[in-house]
Amino acid sequence: MINNPKPPRPENNVISLLSHSESIKIFENKSDEEIWKAFDKGDEFAFNYIYRIYVVKMFQYGCQFAKDHSLIQDCIQNIFIDLRRKRGGLSTVVSIKAYLFKILYREIIRKQNKNKIVGQQSFEISEEGFSIEYSHETKLINDESMERKRELVMMALEKLSQRQRQAILLMYEEGMSYKEISVAMEFSEVKSARKVIYRALASLKDLLHEKAPYLK
Amino acid sequence: MKYRDYDIEHFITDEFFIQWVVNPNENNTHFWEKWLEQHPEKRLVVNDAANFIRSINYSIRPELPDKIYVDIYENILKSEQRNIIRQTENVSRGFFYLFPIRSIAATLLLIFCLWIQFESINYQRPVQQEMPLITMVKKSNPIGRKSVIELPDGSKIHLNSESELEFPSVFSDTLRWVSLKGEAFFEVKKEARPFYVASESNGIHVLGTTFNVNQSDNGSLYVALVTGKVRVESELGKQVELEPKEMLVLQKNGSFYKTGFDPMDILAWKDKILVFKSSDLVEVKSKLEKWYGIKVEYSGNFDKNWTYSGTYEDEILENVLKGICLTSGMEFTIEEDKVTINNPK
Repeated sequence: MINNPKPPRPENNVISLLSHSESIKIFENKSDEEIWKAFDKGDEFAFNYIYRIYVVKMFQYGCQFAKDHSLIQDCIQNIFIDLRRKRGGLSTVVSIKAYLFKILYREIIRKQNKNKIVGQQSFEISEEGFSIEYSHETKLINDESMERKRELVMMALEKLSQRQRQAILLMYEEGMSYKEISVAMEFSEVKSARKVIYRALASLKDLLHEKAPYLK
Repeated sequence: MKYRDYDIEHFITDEFFIQWVVNPNENNTHFWEKWLEQHPEKRLVVNDAANFIRSINYSIRPELPDKIYVDIYENILKSEQRNIIRQTENVSRGFFYLFPIRSIAATLLLIFCLWIQFESINYQRPVQQEMPLITMVKKSNPIGRKSVIELPDGSKIHLNSESELEFPSVFSDTLRWVSLKGEAFFEVKKEARPFYVASESNGIHVLGTTFNVNQSDNGSLYVALVTGKVRVESELGKQVELEPKEMLVLQKNGSFYKTGFDPMDILAWKDKILVFKSSDLVEVKSKLEKWYGIKVEYSGNFDKNWTYSGTYEDEILENVLKGICLTSGMEFTIEEDKVTINNPK
């Protein structure tokens, strides 16, 4: 009872995932830190909110480096069961998405290792993971030289290492900051996240400076 | 370095710039628009940088099916319920054991798990022994039988034949709920605790009202409101509120519409009134079979356009058959639970 205040109105005990969306109303303008704190205290609306906002994203992220969808689903499920069990003693989280991505990555690797344990060497994420699609807005694609440039950039991106592509996608697809990337990818320093991104983009530098012909 | 000295590689590595491109908000949009007004010569490079950022996407974009999305949520909550069972099994048997988890609809599970959780919080360790022994009550009617059930809160429910109602022997402090298969008419006692009806795929929220719920064999759900207010929510999160004299038809594929209804059609069954309203042969057969729990067969030649209208209040089978046959010149025989209707013409 101490750690688990009841929601304000009695019928709110019914927090359906499907009905709309008391939890969104409560939390949409709160900081990640506040939301996480509420979740830690046992607020069911906070859990509902976190689930609604992040589960689809987690699934999509998991699919970037694991092929087995049901394994990803299991991992997501286990993560939340575990987090809920540890409520009351969860540590502070500044970016929920980065944190969830981190533990999802870990959990999937751990699960895959476990599954492969019989007579196999330990599992490693294939180099195919975090594949990048590079595509301009449609109206530009018809332009032949733009298309050529697109192909060159695409090729350069394909040459990047898997970690580099992961960082690039976290930055441009997920819109994460360097700090968040360093959490999600478990770098000890923010500096390392910057380094990975800079190094990855260095190989694209010349291509980027090549002016598109329509600008000349 | 100032933004005005930035080249493309600086923009595409600048967090504040990327934020504006990927997650624009009032703040960053205001800044970058103002800044571009003052630095029009930078428009091209900013445009290139933004295009580069937007062009980078996941190549795989799988969708998480709605069903899985809901299943995971349920499983998370269900796993705690399992833990609670383990913790409390010495103390309270019955409730958790009797509850047939798999047969209950998705919506109900969510509620129920949360309910257990909140209850368990209330009765946490020091007072665990006081956890009340709650059992589930199940009432079901075979074909041909109807019944009236009184709930622990005084609400009255008319349960139609071939229908099943399930509810806890004691309602919690915060919620009254029942689970329904088939058809029932509800006279819900007005009070502060919300009343909730879980059907196979839909939940109905109620506050003190009378209404009819029919989960028909064709998979559609019919909710007809007589007095008060109800809210129906479908599995996919749609919500519809009903006013008195309105009926909601929710089809299996999730689509729904509101319509009026004829109380005689929808509600007469609870007053034991059997209604035929221009019923054809097929409808007469199925109504008789369902009402009396018998089998009906036709023999002889029948006019395809034949229909029958009539109402019977709490009448025995024989009298109903007499009534039908009287107006149409047909004959009938009853052998145990089989009726044969014959057209001698």
